[in-house]
Amino acid sequence: MTSAGERSGAGEKAASPAFECRSVTVEFPHKFSRKRIIEDISFLVRSGEFLTIVGPSGTGKTTLLRAMGGLTPTVSGSVLVHGKELDGPPEDVVIVFQDYSNALLQWRTVAANVAFGIERTLERREAEQRVHDALALVGLEKNADDYPWQLSGGMQQRVQIARALALRPAVMLMDEPFAALDAMTKASMQDELLRVRDRTGTSFVFITHDIEEAVYLGDRIAVLTGSPGRINRIFEIGLPAPRDQLSTRQLPKFLEFRYAVHQAIGRDHG
Amino acid sequence: MDRDRFIAGINWSGTAVFVFVGLAWEAAVRSGLLEYEYLPAPSAIGLGFAELASQGILAPDIAHTLISVAIGWTVAIVLGISLGILLGLSPIARRYSLASIAVLRPMPAVAFAPVGLLLFGFSLKTEMVVTIPPVLWPVLVNTIGGVTGVHQRLYDVGRTFRLSRKDTILRIILPAAMPPIVVGARISLGLALVLAVVAEMVGNPEGLGYGIVREQQALRPDLMFAYIVTVGLIGIVLNAGMLALAQAFLPSFRQLRGG
Amino acid sequence: MMRSPAWRQYFTLVVEALPSARGLLPLVALLGVWQLLQTGNSPYFPSPLDWWNGLMLLAKSGRLYPALSATTITLLLGLAVAVLMGTGIGLLIGVFPRLSRAFGPLLEFLRAIPPPAVVPVAILFMGYDERMKLTVVVLAAIWPILLNTSSAAERVHPLLLDVARSFRLSAFDRMRLIILPSVVPAILLGIRVALPVAIVVTLLVEILTSIEGIGALMISAQRNFQSSQVYGLLVLIGLFGLLLNNVFAVFEALLLRRWPPKTQSQSF
Repeated sequence: MTSAGERSGAGEKAASPAFECRSVTVEFPHKFSRKRIIEDISFLVRSGEFLTIVGPSGTGKTTLLRAMGGLTPTVSGSVLVHGKELDGPPEDVVIVFQDYSNALLQWRTVAANVAFGIERTLERREAEQRVHDALALVGLEKNADDYPWQLSGGMQQRVQIARALALRPAVMLMDEPFAALDAMTKASMQDELLRVRDRTGTSFVFITHDIEEAVYLGDRIAVLTGSPGRINRIFEIGLPAPRDQLSTRQLPKFLEFRYAVHQAIGRDHG
Repeated sequence: MDRDRFIAGINWSGTAVFVFVGLAWEAAVRSGLLEYEYLPAPSAIGLGFAELASQGILAPDIAHTLISVAIGWTVAIVLGISLGILLGLSPIARRYSLASIAVLRPMPAVAFAPVGLLLFGFSLKTEMVVTIPPVLWPVLVNTIGGVTGVHQRLYDVGRTFRLSRKDTILRIILPAAMPPIVVGARISLGLALVLAVVAEMVGNPEGLGYGIVREQQALRPDLMFAYIVTVGLIGIVLNAGMLALAQAFLPSFRQLRGG
Repeated sequence: MMRSPAWRQYFTLVVEALPSARGLLPLVALLGVWQLLQTGNSPYFPSPLDWWNGLMLLAKSGRLYPALSATTITLLLGLAVAVLMGTGIGLLIGVFPRLSRAFGPLLEFLRAIPPPAVVPVAILFMGYDERMKLTVVVLAAIWPILLNTSSAAERVHPLLLDVARSFRLSAFDRMRLIILPSVVPAILLGIRVALPVAIVVTLLVEILTSIEGIGALMISAQRNFQSSQVYGLLVLIGLFGLLLNNVFAVFEALLLRRWPPKTQSQSF
């Protein structure tokens, strides 16, 4: 993918950020007028960075994600991938939805689901290889011939993640992907996600309403509050890597960040 | 503003298409664009209605078909519900009869017509032979399903209140099974109309079904279509009536609108 | 999860598609009693054995097989055309909600007309031939398929459509890879509902017009007071319908193996 904005060569996206929002505003028709859902959203995500966006329900998190994924048009402002402005769903960006059950093709096997994004653009052998690699990354090699409806929620979500990974995207947008899972599955999925990031160098934009999850996973946190939703603050999370479910969560710094994010969200947070 | 919402709620494009097709049809026939010998214009169908009604033919035909529907449906309901309750309550009875029902159910109604003709000639009885068996099945099957589907918890409630077997059936099981039974009755009603018409086409030269065939053979397509439209309208009225009745007796059950 | 060998899966499906055989007792008992009571040669209620003899007579006279194949071919051909057209139109209507709103009332009106009532219309327009018979079967069978398909196409989960957009699928690919597979269970349900209607209409045409087929054979037997043939043919039709339904049920179950269990239509 080349664009006028890029300066450096193969693979290095250091010249322009992997992902950027500039003053993004989204409105929807509401009754007989328009309602402003999110306003003046600006942030950027560097290559290999994990940005979490946290905020209470109703602040337009999903709308923001859809705008970033090119599914919802913006009223003003722009979304840029590698410095190039979006017009529709961009090639290097993949969305992982919260409702895994309805985001997967239940009549296809796991392997066929993972191949969904690449089967039309890659040669058969290369596609098979990528599917195999993606399944290995999420630990589902043994389930390649199962159907999604035969798997648990956590496994189905992993299938969706594998499908996204098969595309080798630059940016993965995730809409509260672990919200429907139980605590233990959620914890192991969080760690798996960080491992994937470490191994592939993909940038992540991760939306959640769980403050602890946001602090645990993120390199930076953007806080979205109010109606219309606006970015209140952006935190740089200076917690050590690799993260660990038990020890990291007990660090004083972790608690400080947690408190700070809580405060930034204000009394709206339940 | 309620008026705006009302206007917005009307299916303008749908009505427009409907009216447009009607007008186009009329224009095409009149102008000679559509020259099918047997395709009447909508206006001709309307006149056909008037002709049948004024000659006093339409009303008796409607009456005959409705009587046929009423008898067939009533018999099917009584048989279907009583048998259905029996079978629903007894797993043993079910085990020794469900396969028979499964075999008999797909029998095409019209195939009974020659048998009926053989036994009863052209008469109302023949109509019944054609109408009753197929109309029986939806009620029977739905009643069995309704009774067997009664939640275990409701049986427990009956036992807690130490209800007799008879009371359990009358006051808990039957009311609980009502919604699917009513749905079955509604399906059966529509089916009864169709079958009465079919029976009148082949088994008994009276009523709306015979009217359709008679006018077809007399090469009067305008009257034939008038009969067909009548059948359609009666079907709509019967269905709506049944819905209203069901709504009145089971106001809390919204699933009635389905199926 | 445990995976039994393929042949066992097929076998289980076939066995599950047939209801418990013990339930046939009432029917068998009825036939047995009827046979025992019929000692004389009653013209109205011939014994089951007589039915068999009547059928054999028809077979030997060479009239049975042509009639059976005529009915079967018209039925299957009509269903095939109905599936193609019903699925095609249903998908169009489902995918373009504006079409569905515009044609909705018209379709509702046409749907209220019972298929048998259309038979005389077809006879008038097209005369007494095979083409008319086929047309009527198609017209009767197309409705459940069309309506089921269109309603399922309208109900494809919006998230799935988002996925299609997110992966930048062309409209053609979206239809082929997402919408069409999603509506397959509904199409099958539509076919299942259309099957009995198609059979009834086929027989009705044959009875009314005496065009070649089992229905024509039946009415001719009735007119000649060959009661054992009439009953025999009735049983034949019953078995024929049963066979068709069960074959389709097995076919449907096999096809729907890859769908979550809840989408399989009710069998009771």
